[in-house]
Amino acid sequence: MTLALASVALAVILIPAPAAAAPLERFFRVGAGQYAFTPASLRANPGDTITIELHSTDVTHGLYVDGYDVSAEAQPGQPAALTFIASRAGVFRLRCSVTCGTLHPFMLGRLVVGPNWTLARAAALAGLAVLAAPLTLRKAAE
Amino acid sequence: MRAETLARLLVLGLAAAAVGFPLAARQRPPLLHARLAEQGGWAPDVLRAEAGQPLTVRLTSDDVLHGFGVGRTDFEAVLVEPGKVTEVTLTFDQPGIYTYYCTVWCGLNHWRMRGVIEVRGSDVQAGAPTPPLYAQLGIDIDAPHPAETTPAERPNALAAPVVALEFSFDQYAAASPAQLWSSLGNQPGLENLTDAQRWDLVAALWARQTSPAALAEGETIFRQDCAACHGPQGAGDGLYADDLASAGQAAMQGLAGAPDMLMQSPPDWQDPAILLGASPALLQGKLLRGGMGTGMPMWGAIYTDEQLWHVVAYLYTLQMDYP
Repeated sequence: MTLALASVALAVILIPAPAAAAPLERFFRVGAGQYAFTPASLRANPGDTITIELHSTDVTHGLYVDGYDVSAEAQPGQPAALTFIASRAGVFRLRCSVTCGTLHPFMLGRLVVGPNWTLARAAALAGLAVLAAPLTLRKAAE
Repeated sequence: MRAETLARLLVLGLAAAAVGFPLAARQRPPLLHARLAEQGGWAPDVLRAEAGQPLTVRLTSDDVLHGFGVGRTDFEAVLVEPGKVTEVTLTFDQPGIYTYYCTVWCGLNHWRMRGVIEVRGSDVQAGAPTPPLYAQLGIDIDAPHPAETTPAERPNALAAPVVALEFSFDQYAAASPAQLWSSLGNQPGLENLTDAQRWDLVAALWARQTSPAALAEGETIFRQDCAACHGPQGAGDGLYADDLASAGQAAMQGLAGAPDMLMQSPPDWQDPAILLGASPALLQGKLLRGGMGTGMPMWGAIYTDEQLWHVVAYLYTLQMDYP
């Protein structure tokens, strides 16, 4: 039984993720106003070429993508664009990179690149642990 | 006895420090605080300097990101960041009053963030300054100026008939395209031109007064400083246009105490009757002076005359095609 559980856990860790869809060119028009990005959540697949056009709706704002270290800065009436290849999978924070007002630190968004396999695997492993707990406890009682 | 000497030395030392520290602090370059216009703008908003002597200023922001630029000089604007101190050194060759201003859109009243540098010097220029062109020509820049006739199609300078015609800068500045179009009809030798050809000729004459480089600079300035209210295509639909009509009025009352002052939305330059009815001197005057009560900033303190003429030349390309 322990062996079976251990092999399932190994499988969860080692089985590669299904092949990603063919890379696309993705274009997002993101509005930036005090103190939010609209839309605040962007989704892409790994390998996609992402272009974000930043439009400010009030004062000067910036957009910085955590993990990719790219940024753009838009003044009202002057949109700015940034292009990068989503080479890393995961969830990344978007931040305003210009001190734009009192709530500037809370002007956040997110970029989701691909399904979150790390989280899915972690959840599966946690589920396995929960299953395994009663089994090992019963064994210990015997 | 020894204790008394020590006590005397201590008192003397403290007294010297009390006088010396403030004196030493005054020797440091002044610290200029940038604040949102609603919070009072620049503090201090007047700096003094001597012509030919370097003026060092330390800059910091008390709230958001600002910029520091000095109008009508070659000084390259710097960013003023909260929590940081930026030091700049300015040298003015000519005495006069220079305007420093914020170069980053920091809030609705961004353009109200201005201060002046009074530069004193020995070589005071003689005589009164020349009045701006619109004043010399007696143009009322606040009066409506609709064009009586508008072209059926967009005038194109490249399609214009080739005619030998004297056309000076003064003629260009004084008349609107529509006025020139009417007067060209009475010109001997041009009677045979169709209406469309005459409009093309107007565009060609306008093109003579500018160059591609000048138009490019005019467009850059327009994108940077005008598009936020006037709209990217000059249709008067910029981001701030709505705010001007609503929040802007309240802001004006707070600042000037004039309750009757009405904020106006920017004009729609996609309407040929509005743009082609305006003479270059009128447009340059509006840029130079700004609109009293309209929310239009005064650009005369920021841009040189040459830069303002470049913007004017660019504006007409919204209605006419010329290289």
